Amino acid sequence: MNSRERVIKLFKGEQIDRVPCFSGMGNVTTEGLKKFGYKFAALHSDAKLMSDAAASTYHLFGFECGVVPFDLCVEAEALGCEINVYSHLEDILYPTIKKKLIHNENEMDITIPSDFIKRGRIPLMKETIGYIKKDIGAEAAIGSYVLGPFTLAGQIMELNDLLKLSFKKPDKVGKLLDILADAIIQTALEYEKAGVDYITVREMGATSDVLSPRVFKNLILPYLKKIFAELKVDTVLHICGKTNDIAVSMLESGARAISVDQKNDVAETRKKIGRDALLFGNYDPYNVLVAGTPEKVRETVRKCIDDGISAIWPGCDIWPTVPPENINAMMDEVKKYGGAK
Amino acid sequence: MVDEAKKKEVLEKMKNAVIQYDEDVCKEGAQEAVDLGMDANEAIFEGLVAGMEEVGRLFEAQEYFVPEILMCADALYAGLEILKPHCKQMDLGVRGSVVIGTVEGDVHDIGKNLVKMMFDVAGFHVYDLGRDVPLDKFVDEQLKTDSELVCLSAMMTTSMVGMPKVIEKIKEKNPDCMIMIGGAPTSKELADKWGADGYAEDASNALKEAIKMVSFLKKLRAEKLNK
Repeated sequence: MNSRERVIKLFKGEQIDRVPCFSGMGNVTTEGLKKFGYKFAALHSDAKLMSDAAASTYHLFGFECGVVPFDLCVEAEALGCEINVYSHLEDILYPTIKKKLIHNENEMDITIPSDFIKRGRIPLMKETIGYIKKDIGAEAAIGSYVLGPFTLAGQIMELNDLLKLSFKKPDKVGKLLDILADAIIQTALEYEKAGVDYITVREMGATSDVLSPRVFKNLILPYLKKIFAELKVDTVLHICGKTNDIAVSMLESGARAISVDQKNDVAETRKKIGRDALLFGNYDPYNVLVAGTPEKVRETVRKCIDDGISAIWPGCDIWPTVPPENINAMMDEVKKYGGAK
Repeated sequence: MVDEAKKKEVLEKMKNAVIQYDEDVCKEGAQEAVDLGMDANEAIFEGLVAGMEEVGRLFEAQEYFVPEILMCADALYAGLEILKPHCKQMDLGVRGSVVIGTVEGDVHDIGKNLVKMMFDVAGFHVYDLGRDVPLDKFVDEQLKTDSELVCLSAMMTTSMVGMPKVIEKIKEKNPDCMIMIGGAPTSKELADKWGADGYAEDASNALKEAIKMVSFLKKLRAEKLNK
């Protein structure tokens, strides 16, 4: 059973030899960049460079997927935001939004450009997905991600305003989320056309660290449902931070699997969602995988499996400076321990 | 002499306006305090800060979330704006200045702004560098202003890795400067490892830490007055 078969069977609910170890979020490593001599800032706007970097984590460590993009700005950029890729710096910094689309409450009534899927880097992402598939698509699962509507709203307008309005004027925010859900669906369908095996929707702005479970259910969940109803490939809903009180709602979104980070009490979540629901997580990609020791990594992998995780999967993007011995320890421990349950 | 019962009523009004995120009522209360000739510092600490302390408790109890806190902060600032010009310099031995900002690569500033609010309330001089701030700017600003405290914020794991560089540079030039780091990915271990003097793992914890600090000032102030 190769990595791709293992991941696909997992999504189908079929028998597999062990839990897979993959991600729906960025997992490029500095080891991978070193191999090609690429600079991180150069990856985001070049399909060849991006695909090489995305496939390198599989090539080097057997991490069981290839995922693009590496930043959270693709949809916002296609909608008209300006981004900063920090090309002037040697350090690894992820692109951010430099110029927002909506500057005040009165500008929230946006329309999606008719040529939306041809704008920004959406065509580039399709090309990139094609290259990764050619490179490792027969052996490893190929994934991509889009933002959730609330998180995307936080990219195109001030988060401060969005949060207050979600309380003061939920109807107005709901209307914006509905429009953004359409933009997200259009983007995800393009990635499907390019041949991805699975798509992760990252709705980290809706974490219970920030928003009440009630607001999540009333204001955000309906638009997540709208998105998942339109996607045909396997899907994952990722929310970081506190998620124990919304885990059941996350599954109700229609996502095939849910993904949580280290702040979730997975043993408790597993009890709530039942044995068969797919639950991905939840190791800390910085404090364990980058800053921890190989022994700490192994312990964490075993705990995730004991708690009832369906796939060993990071709580966020993997920070590139991960030491090779740690990622090797993770892969090795998954192989040793991941078939036990 | 201000009527004690009336004074209590005005303080209570401001406190509740902060808790119920009512900017207009908070302004009204602050104006009444000024008109009555009440001590502005007392109005800030026993009215506005008392309200924020309760907001912190409500947040911890998960009755309030970030949107509510942001609205409470707006109410607090509305009152503070009116009271600030009437403040006498407090002699609490902690008068000082702070450099605060979100590190380059990160455009999130909610946690940073909540901490800034508590410094504003406590009468600190705040040099707010904003967000997505180049690392060297923190070092330069600290040297330029000789601030006792530098607060670095990052919400994303992907941006906090620049923090140790700033800490090292500042401590090298000015070992007495206190440095606080904040943001979702930070931890006590990281703060220790990087040589930071304090940390707060998210906006709520940052607010909690800042409230604790200001509550301490409040207590100090009360003790001083009772002597």
